[in-house]
Amino acid sequence: MKPVITLQDVAVRYKRNGNLFRKKTYFEALKSINMDIYPGETLGILGRNGSGKSTLLRLISGIIKPDHGRVTNHGASVSLLALQTGFDPNLSGHDNAIFSGMLQGASRREVQNKLNEIQEYSELGNFFFEPVRTYSTGMRARLGFSISTIISPDVLLIDEVLSVGDQHFKHKAERTMVEKIQSQQTVVLVSHSHQQIARLCDRAVLIDDGISYASGDPHDVLDVYEERLEQKKT
Amino acid sequence: MNTNSKTKLPAHELAFEWAWQAVKEKDWKAAAHRWEVLRQGYPSHPATWLQNAIAHIETGDFEHAEYLLSHARQEFPDHPQTLTESAFLAIRKKECDAAEGYLQQARHKHPDAVQTWLKSSECAEEIGQLAKATEYSEKACQCSPDLPGPYIQYAELAMRNKQWEQALERWKKLRLLFPNLHVGYIRAADAARHLNRPREARQLILAQQYDTSILDNDSQNEGLQSKTLQSDKVSKQHNGHTSITRLLNLIWAKAIFNLRSEDHHNYLSYVWWILEPLIHMAIYYLVFGYLLQRGGENFPVFLLTGLIPWMWFMKAVSSSSNSIIAGQHLLLQVDLPSIVFPLVSLVQSTLKQIPVFILLFAFLWLHNITPSANWWALLPVITVQILLTIAFASMVAALVPFMRDLTYLVPTGLTLLMFLSGIFYDYRMIPVEWQSAFLMNPVAFLLQCYRDIFIGNSLPDLQTLGWWGIGSAVTCIGLAYAYKRLRYVYPRVLME
Repeated sequence: MKPVITLQDVAVRYKRNGNLFRKKTYFEALKSINMDIYPGETLGILGRNGSGKSTLLRLISGIIKPDHGRVTNHGASVSLLALQTGFDPNLSGHDNAIFSGMLQGASRREVQNKLNEIQEYSELGNFFFEPVRTYSTGMRARLGFSISTIISPDVLLIDEVLSVGDQHFKHKAERTMVEKIQSQQTVVLVSHSHQQIARLCDRAVLIDDGISYASGDPHDVLDVYEERLEQKKT
Repeated sequence: MNTNSKTKLPAHELAFEWAWQAVKEKDWKAAAHRWEVLRQGYPSHPATWLQNAIAHIETGDFEHAEYLLSHARQEFPDHPQTLTESAFLAIRKKECDAAEGYLQQARHKHPDAVQTWLKSSECAEEIGQLAKATEYSEKACQCSPDLPGPYIQYAELAMRNKQWEQALERWKKLRLLFPNLHVGYIRAADAARHLNRPREARQLILAQQYDTSILDNDSQNEGLQSKTLQSDKVSKQHNGHTSITRLLNLIWAKAIFNLRSEDHHNYLSYVWWILEPLIHMAIYYLVFGYLLQRGGENFPVFLLTGLIPWMWFMKAVSSSSNSIIAGQHLLLQVDLPSIVFPLVSLVQSTLKQIPVFILLFAFLWLHNITPSANWWALLPVITVQILLTIAFASMVAALVPFMRDLTYLVPTGLTLLMFLSGIFYDYRMIPVEWQSAFLMNPVAFLLQCYRDIFIGNSLPDLQTLGWWGIGSAVTCIGLAYAYKRLRYVYPRVLME
């Protein structure tokens, strides 16, 4: 099977503290990442805090380019499941849904055709037409999740999922994710929860010290991860 | 029933509950003991004999079991379980012929009892008669369609014989009838794993954890597969914001939404669009026209024809200058060309100027200035102003992220430009040798064009206007290219 996105020996470094009076220093977020994302799979990305997972997601979604190596996208739309991408608090949920949907790559008409679905899924009722500033945090998250769910890209990137709203909606959101994962949607999932990765992913990649340390069956990768954690402790 | 001796005993259902509990927990030792005790109270009840025997078989005490069963065979010859449990013991003792003997009788006497067929199937499997075992197991399912046990046996039979496909089929049947039984999902997942179909296995496990409708798209799965193959075509359109029309639509939508959002902030909302230039005009009129007495004839008209185009330019530039930094939360989450941000500010401030221009026309009309044949020149003048504004605003916006200090210079620079553009004085008032240099400032030149049309009732210098138009257009193209080159630089600059 041909991968949808390929990363070859990718490195990213950030500039730090550089200005007129101080020497630039660099911080290497990623040193050498090799991985493929195949269509229809659910790929888990494991790694400790600060191991460069967010940078990796930005690379995959094409927001930044690497300093070294190559990221090849074979023509797939990728978007980050960001729960509140660019919400304008003064606009209604309806208007925010249109713009947010357009940001995620759909045309205005495509979004408009799906507005009913978004409203229904979000369970906001008539609040959908009220300004987002009147929403509770949970309601905002619900709206954001609903938009991303219904305007679904070819490759969905999920960073630490699903603390969405109340218990009921959280379950619903998780269920939807499960359905998506099941329905040939390509998903890249970043999670701290070992259980979640083991349960949901077809494959996992371990990122440690900026290097794609291991990849393969989630259970095997989790074993390697735990081993590494133990080593670090001692 | 409930009186068996002098002391009154509870109903047997109640009493047996105690022993059944142990059976359920598969604590066979306790079960054997409890049935033993219960038999003292209910010796005429077959369960106390048969269940006790089963418990003993399970603990491996075949001798004791045999004793109990032989008693049962005498006492309750018509009880179907007497035969089946005898067979069960025989199977356990590997006396298959004896077992078959009991089961033959059972099949003859109790063809309606599930146990008969369950045990027959077990026995047939033991002696390696797979076809027979399957047949009996099927019979068991037919016998009691409302019990899951026979279906489980039926599927497990296939599992033990490594007939995974068949097993999957049978587990599916079980799930259909008893959707709440976990075994139907978990064991089916095992079968799928044996078939090397991990995706299907995961689906089954997830269905058990969430709910079964996850399996409903089972049949759609093939359809979906073909959909993903086609989706190449769709995804090309979907891919980012590469197409220009998509980008323009996005800019337009965002500008409109921003305007809608702004009007939430203040009570007078849209009225401010018109009120603001009027207040500016009032101030300049007060200072220059009234206090300094520099106005000259028809000063309000002169002031407004300069002020309104200037405010358009000024607002567009100042609102764009910081737009990329202001939009960084979006830029870091969505793959979006950064030129979108200054252009949105530009469209937004331009739209706000439309009512102001209408106000200008109304004002001119009040002062008896009506459209003349020369007014067509407004079209190229406005076009050049738009091009110039785009060039200027997007250039400033492009530089600010790299040199944030520029944000402090932009207002100062604009103020300087304002004083150099002759908004509240006529350029003819400055020394003649400076006048041509003064008009080198494109903004000053544009304002003069407006005034030529509105006040002088003549055509502006169209040739110079044309050069400015070309110059601005070339700058715009150059900037578009620069933005393209810098597309992936901006997110990095904003992060660092």
